[in-house]
Amino acid sequence: MEKRREIENTRTSFPACTDIYLGEESVVLTMEMPGVSKENLNIRVEKDLLIIDGKRDFGEIEGNYRIREIRPGDFHQEYTIDDTIDRNKIEASINGGLAILTLGLKESIKPRKISVKVQ
Amino acid sequence: MAIVKWKNKNLYDPWAELTNLQSEINELFNYDRLPSTTGLFERSVTPAINFVEKENEYTVTCELPGLEEKDIDVSIASSVLTIKGNKKGSSEEKKGKYYKREIWSGGFQRTLSLPHMVDSEKISADLKDGMLTVSLPKKEEMKPKQISVKVK
Repeated sequence: MEKRREIENTRTSFPACTDIYLGEESVVLTMEMPGVSKENLNIRVEKDLLIIDGKRDFGEIEGNYRIREIRPGDFHQEYTIDDTIDRNKIEASINGGLAILTLGLKESIKPRKISVKVQ
Repeated sequence: MAIVKWKNKNLYDPWAELTNLQSEINELFNYDRLPSTTGLFERSVTPAINFVEKENEYTVTCELPGLEEKDIDVSIASSVLTIKGNKKGSSEEKKGKYYKREIWSGGFQRTLSLPHMVDSEKISADLKDGMLTVSLPKKEEMKPKQISVKVK
């Protein structure tokens, strides 16, 4: 019961709409986070966990809601990343509520071409 | 405001079971993973909006992530507000592979009929962090007026 109350007290969070794209050099995550500014986007890596937090700071408007479709709450999602991702090559940007995360792949994973020498 | 017939819940309604079934099926794919505007059966690709009535104005908030000013067209004709736009997707052919595609793209249009006349001269719209906020001040004569009663 205590635990349940704790959950209810915390602000709701849900995952953002995401596109995950695997390219040759990197994994690109595009996330729709309307209302999240640069300061409120928090991305961290904890061991094998990539945690993305986007806080929305648009205040609740006082008044009579005629239509309410926008889900109140923050964005939160977690992804497990494996050893193919170079932890030092993680870049993030946010522009107009669209966050783009580029996770660089390790050199050893990239396809290599081995030239055959004929002697 | 439409007039809705009042239902007596104590009376047996043979349609209730069917209605429940229908809503259950509708909710089937609306699990928490995705926002409700992108459900499987709901092919309505329109951005989510909030419409709030305040004392002096109406405020429309609209989620438009990744859109620029030039992509959005807000217009008003008498008391009908239209938000039009085109959401560009990553349409270019890429060599890689998509593991997940939840972001929709394409044109959208949203029309709202406003309950009262608004002052079309004073409408303002601004876009910040992918949120569009349109303020529609009410016309002077529509605002509630306080009439003081004088006791003689």
